[in-house]
Amino acid sequence: MVLELLQSLSEMQIVGELTVLSLLIGGIIMVGGVIIAKIAKLLFHKYYAPSLPKDTAQNISKLIYFGILIVSFLGFTSSQGIDLSGIMVAGGIFAVVIGFATQSVVSNLISGLFLIVEKPAKHGDTIELPDMGISGTLLDIGTFSSKVRRFDGTVTRIPNEKFFTSNIRSLTLSTVRRADVTVGISYDSDIDNAIKVMKNEIFQTMPFVLQIPEPEFRIEELADSSVNIHVFVWHPRDDWSQAQPILLNTLKRALDKSGIEIPFPQRVIWTGKD
Amino acid sequence: MSNNSEINFSNFGIYDLKDDLELILPNTSIKFNKISENAFSYFRENSEGKTLEKIIPVKSDDLKIELAPIRPLNHPARRTSHIFLKFDKEIHLSKNSAASIFVHCPVEIGIFLIHDSNHDSLDCFTCNPLNSRFGLYGSPDTGILCKYAEVSLATDFSDSTSYVEGVLQIIIENTLSFSQSISKVVFPMTDNSLYYQNSKTIIDGIKIIMKKRAAVNIADVKAIPIETDWSMSPTWEDKTASTHMEMGLE
Repeated sequence: MVLELLQSLSEMQIVGELTVLSLLIGGIIMVGGVIIAKIAKLLFHKYYAPSLPKDTAQNISKLIYFGILIVSFLGFTSSQGIDLSGIMVAGGIFAVVIGFATQSVVSNLISGLFLIVEKPAKHGDTIELPDMGISGTLLDIGTFSSKVRRFDGTVTRIPNEKFFTSNIRSLTLSTVRRADVTVGISYDSDIDNAIKVMKNEIFQTMPFVLQIPEPEFRIEELADSSVNIHVFVWHPRDDWSQAQPILLNTLKRALDKSGIEIPFPQRVIWTGKD
Repeated sequence: MSNNSEINFSNFGIYDLKDDLELILPNTSIKFNKISENAFSYFRENSEGKTLEKIIPVKSDDLKIELAPIRPLNHPARRTSHIFLKFDKEIHLSKNSAASIFVHCPVEIGIFLIHDSNHDSLDCFTCNPLNSRFGLYGSPDTGILCKYAEVSLATDFSDSTSYVEGVLQIIIENTLSFSQSISKVVFPMTDNSLYYQNSKTIIDGIKIIMKKRAAVNIADVKAIPIETDWSMSPTWEDKTASTHMEMGLE
């Protein structure tokens, strides 16, 4: 019964020597290839990927998936008796035409390959693209585009060509980072004493601020209403949130506790009578 | 906690809990409460009022814990395995000479659950948070992030400051053809074990050999184990690595 069915399918020609049976076998090979590729990808993600760096894991995962698909496709073509050499000649001409038509796509693809080789940033790095005003965590460098999760939680897709040619500021390559703020004290205040109390408060309440290099205080400007002091502190690169956002609060608290005035702009007007 | 000298602090060691237990340490209080037949609660509060609470399910109706000093690498967060000790006084070494000194080295305190012979890290903290800071050895781009402490010389192994500082022996050998002044030492502390007795701590020493390699003067640092009958502290396990979740349970 089954043999008869297969026999009849093999006799049903579609085009040339292409029969329904060979097409069925090709389809089974392709579907089997896709299933095997997905299972291999799944198993890799489950058992091996967690122990690898994320970008390496993603690249290997893609390699496994598309590698199996390509092998399946080759199996499919050979099962159909298709001679690929003819396709390759035609494909070469076709590729030139397509290449012109899809210049930006190819450019993104090539840029993606260069990004994977050069690795200006890796998966999970915090980066800033000043040209585009984008900063956040690099999620993925894909075939055609890269994805950055911004600090507000949204994900921005950046074409690889733009990503490759723009300035990339990595916020996680150095061991430590520096936070800085400017604070103004009144002209009546003792600058040395103000620096002393601010330094002491930083030491007491900000455990992530480095002791070496010490916090640095520079008199930035003798401004209209205040003496402006620029404060620089260093912190471990992953602890930005424990330094920059709370530094100004810490300094204000220190100055308030010591009774040192933080002035606001004011103007004294003398009238003619006075 | 205003006058530490009048308080009887708890000692390091193994505690077998059948019921509630309170441990008093400088600037820190710890409570274990039996909340059911098969569960204890853990509560810690420091002098700033910061608290931590955990529930500990147990198989039997008792619980065995160990209170022990651990390497000072975990507070305020685990970021490095290096320590940077800045001496309060410089040590001068003549050419081709050697010296052995003892220094105070900060320690943190770990609480471990004991299951059979395994130690399970429950909590760690410091009794002196103001001396638990970071420092950078080298330049910002290539330097090494370290836990930083300014330390004073100790007289011998018995000179440990309870709960806060252990004693570390440093043997320095200057094989160079000129004298050297040493004001700081930076080394990875993961090879140094800690030992405790009552409330005191001693730490595996380090040997520093200053020598010339090609045209560069280098300091070769390695840990040297000490022989002592004091109890060895369990190793605190860094739990910062997150587990891979499949079903949303952590």
